[in-house]
Amino acid sequence: MLNRLFAQVGQTALVLFFVSVASFVFLKLAPGDPVSLMLGSDYNKDSYDKLFTELGLDRPWAAQYASWLGDFVTGDWGRSFVSNEDIFRLAVMQALPVTLCLAAYALVLALLIGIPAGVLSALKRDTWMDLCATGVAVFGNAFPSFYLGIVLIWVFGVGLGWFPTLGFVAPWENLLEGLWYLTLPAITLAAWYIGLIARVTRASLLDVLGHSYILAARARGEGSARVVWVHAMRNVLMPLTTTIGLQLGGMLRGAVMTEVVFALPGLGMMITAATLNREYTVVQAGVMLSGLLFVIVNLVVDQLYTWLDPRLRRLA
Amino acid sequence: MSAPRSMQVPAVPATRSGALAEGWSAVWAQRSARWGMGIVLAYVLAALFAPWLATHDPVAQAVEAAMQAPSTAHWLGTDSFGQDIYSRLLYGARLALAIGFGSVLLGMVAGVALGLIAGLAGGRIEWAIMRVVDGLLAFPELILAMAFLAVLGPGVDNLVYALALSFVGPFARTVRSDVLQVRAQPYVEAARLMGVPMREIVLRHVLLNVAPGIVVQAGIRVSIAILLESGLSFLGVGVVPPTPDWGLMIAEGRAFITMAPWISGIPGLALAILLVALNLLADGLRDALDPRSGETR
Amino acid sequence: MSKIDHRSLLAAKLAKDFSRGRRALLGAGAAAGALGLAGIGSTALVSDAHAQGQPVKRGGTIRLGWIDALDTLDPHFTSSLGSIKVINNVFNGLLKVTWDGKKVGFEPDLAEKWDAVSDRVHVFRLRKGVKFHNGDPLNAEAVKWSVERVRDPANKSQHAYHFEDLTSVDVVDEFTVRLTFSKPYAFLPVALTGSTGRAGTIVCRSAIEKLGRDYGRNPVGTGPFKFVSWRENDSIVLERNPDYFEKGLPYLDRVEIRLIREPSSGVAALLAGQVDGLSLVPFQFVPELRKSPNIALYGQVEGNYSYVGMNNRKGPFMDVNLRRAVAHAIDRDVIVKQGYFGEAIPAFTPISPPMTPFYDVNIAKSSRGHRLDLKKAMEFRKKAADQSEVTPVYIVAEGFTGSGGSGTRISQLLGPMLAKIGVKPKVELSDRAAWLKRRNTGDFDMFDEAWIADLDPHETITPEWSTGRQWNFVGYSNPEFDKLVAEASDTLDTKRRIVLYNRAVDVLLDDAPLAMLAHRKVFKAFTRRVRGFQYIPVDLLNLHTVSLG
Repeated sequence: MLNRLFAQVGQTALVLFFVSVASFVFLKLAPGDPVSLMLGSDYNKDSYDKLFTELGLDRPWAAQYASWLGDFVTGDWGRSFVSNEDIFRLAVMQALPVTLCLAAYALVLALLIGIPAGVLSALKRDTWMDLCATGVAVFGNAFPSFYLGIVLIWVFGVGLGWFPTLGFVAPWENLLEGLWYLTLPAITLAAWYIGLIARVTRASLLDVLGHSYILAARARGEGSARVVWVHAMRNVLMPLTTTIGLQLGGMLRGAVMTEVVFALPGLGMMITAATLNREYTVVQAGVMLSGLLFVIVNLVVDQLYTWLDPRLRRLA
Repeated sequence: MSAPRSMQVPAVPATRSGALAEGWSAVWAQRSARWGMGIVLAYVLAALFAPWLATHDPVAQAVEAAMQAPSTAHWLGTDSFGQDIYSRLLYGARLALAIGFGSVLLGMVAGVALGLIAGLAGGRIEWAIMRVVDGLLAFPELILAMAFLAVLGPGVDNLVYALALSFVGPFARTVRSDVLQVRAQPYVEAARLMGVPMREIVLRHVLLNVAPGIVVQAGIRVSIAILLESGLSFLGVGVVPPTPDWGLMIAEGRAFITMAPWISGIPGLALAILLVALNLLADGLRDALDPRSGETR
Repeated sequence: MSKIDHRSLLAAKLAKDFSRGRRALLGAGAAAGALGLAGIGSTALVSDAHAQGQPVKRGGTIRLGWIDALDTLDPHFTSSLGSIKVINNVFNGLLKVTWDGKKVGFEPDLAEKWDAVSDRVHVFRLRKGVKFHNGDPLNAEAVKWSVERVRDPANKSQHAYHFEDLTSVDVVDEFTVRLTFSKPYAFLPVALTGSTGRAGTIVCRSAIEKLGRDYGRNPVGTGPFKFVSWRENDSIVLERNPDYFEKGLPYLDRVEIRLIREPSSGVAALLAGQVDGLSLVPFQFVPELRKSPNIALYGQVEGNYSYVGMNNRKGPFMDVNLRRAVAHAIDRDVIVKQGYFGEAIPAFTPISPPMTPFYDVNIAKSSRGHRLDLKKAMEFRKKAADQSEVTPVYIVAEGFTGSGGSGTRISQLLGPMLAKIGVKPKVELSDRAAWLKRRNTGDFDMFDEAWIADLDPHETITPEWSTGRQWNFVGYSNPEFDKLVAEASDTLDTKRRIVLYNRAVDVLLDDAPLAMLAHRKVFKAFTRRVRGFQYIPVDLLNLHTVSLG
């Protein structure tokens, strides 16, 4: 068990190392640098050169990367080139909680809507209800999220005035207000996953419903609601968990556009801004965090499998 | 999506004879798939015959006719440059489909290759490949595409490469886990023992068995590609204006969402309908290609 | 813009104030003292913007949406107007820019009195009892240190050029400081306000020595608001400075600035009442906001010009005739209408309306400058060396057209216009970082941009188009132009300056390293509950006199 954990940690570290190298190389290869952005219209060679040197951007790439890595593993994540903000504070203390709240809220919404929609369309397969449920679910992920977000802002924020149009209030400070502020962004983000969850639920429920033990249960005269919710749903949970697991990583990543539209200071916003600013230290911190979350989610999902599937438990 | 596939019990070996026809009729048997296919086909036709169907030059500006609501002169209205939205939509279908299918195809080829190699080779090679794949997956797709596009520079071809890169990971992952499952099947083992060369085993048994999953995934990914592409336009690094492109049209039109909602709304709707159709088609393919779903019928 | 000659009115006022001082410096009549030389008496009372007669309500928190990006809040190292708008609420300069609805003025801010001892020596008497937010006193030492910080070549401030002719800063006594220049400097008042709060802004020595580069995130100034916090990508918070030297100001208790990347979201937030104001309104949204009865828009044609830059060093535009052809093929009415949604006026020359008396109000009827003339354009095109179709690389970055970024609209509009003269630009889109890199390194054939928030011809053409200067990205070089603008900079006589600048502009536009586009309005928007905002046409958002109804 401990060995496996160590192996996992080693593997994770390796993946993250790869991720950091890749993002570093990408940002270095991309034309442009933070200093020209900082100087903007006030560009002049002298100021540029001085700042460039001051920020250590004139050193060879390998040296820049090595010193970043050295600092990073010892807990010094450095400072943003442009704003001089402490990156650890920015990424972990500020951005991460925002994105986690958003993703969690969106996940709950997606499950609350997606599962019933999927069950409905599986039970009423090939009827108009199936088509409707599938249609509604599928339409959710048919619009670019920035567009959906903007439409929601104008309809529910400006037109009806039900929800705030943008901004973030920490739910841990004020739960209700926090959720209220996060509702439109969460719907925007959830829209994509509602369709997905509904589809997976539908497909795997159909799959399960055809199996002999369900037919047997039915033959025994068990009520169909019981059959569905007790016998069948248990087996739907497996693929659903996998999907959610895979997607949760994706959800944190999918938050990019949602955060930009709703001006949420989360990881997506941070990474986007930093990529556009060519701030490799910030991007690396962000991508490492996103990678770490991805790995953690995968580990949790693995654990959930063994818990859900007794066969796997025996194997382990 | 990819995930359920890897959890499914692998399919029985495919019978070659008439598989295609059978698959076709199985897809056709489903109403939603029929719808999906019909719509996708309509889009393809619209794209192919855009020059004949269009009423205007898609990049012809008309200062006096800017931001006009749909009318007989401009069936779907005009945008802020007075360009005809209907005509841009038709030409935009070309680009949307080309970018969508192109990037997915490219990502699929690379991903399937990596997945096959990893799954078949095993050992260190597999381990190394999968770590790279994990790394790719850890990047937010949009950021990956954005950074890659910044490196490559502007252009539709580079856009396709950038999007393709973000599809390599998911395909590789699915294919590998499918391969592992297929490989464990007795008949594959038997074939190996009978001295069938590995290459043939791969082609005949493994690839054929993992193909349905890949095809389904590809169908869904095409819509993701088009969505991502519009996202890049939103962030200002997508297709170069005034190229008729849906993502660009939506992104540019968002500034006029109250004054002239059709500018972004119409390409948005066109995109949504295409994506729904692609999804329906993918679902249909899944049901049709996955023999088990026959049990319920 | 109004037809009133702002600058000569200002000149008259300055001259009058000056004659109250001891020395008649130039004896050249009213216009002589035009720029740079004055000892202005008392501060104008600012609060009379609340002219409605209602008592001003004190207190409250104003929430503002900030659409433009920020870099640093260190005034000497910022390049962003988004930052400068914040900085102007936290810091003061020796002088400040004012606007009475008709003319731009320069009034004492931290200085109480400004004496021009000679045309190169300026003595400032400071207000007494002014304190930085950390309690440090504002005195002659502080001013000296601050000015020298900008000027010090080791610091490489991008605003150092404002003080390149400054030979010394001397402390005369605790509240008197003397600036000595090597030659007359017509641009001085603008430099001392730092145009919009840059070079001439007085910063706090002890805070900088303590914080270093972090000062930019924790600014300490003397202004009406104290800095509280800055959460990256989220918000900046300021609070009332109870010890502010303008008695009774400011009215607001707190300022919450929300940083918004997506302009359409910012506009939505304003209309939904979630923010009380916007730092900037992209042209696309102006019609929408004009329609709304709850929104007050502030915006006029400011000191700016947008232009198409053409590379003089390489590529097709080394050919002056091709550049001239482009300059005359552009329909500026279409640019104004379609590019800026009508919120601009065509630019014939770089001299913009607020730069009275340099701006020629009858320019449209004259024959000077760039204007649409296809016949002329074709003539130039025929003289060009390359008679085949030319495909210059046109670099663009996406963005809404506000005060700074120009987006892709202009490039799209220029396409059909230039096609008429056989020029088909190859538009290359990239993000802003890549765009800036290409612009700075001359990796382009053409681009469009704007020079903004300028008050004087000096700053609007000299560093932009002089040989080898920092912002001359197209590599233009004409010794005649260089000579004219250098002479104008050293000249204090306004009439003479007008002549010199007109000649310089004519030379520049005939060589056409740039093709003129438009002078644009720059907007701020507030909900109706915001009272007392004083609009100043150099993209400032001063909250000194603002209150909430």
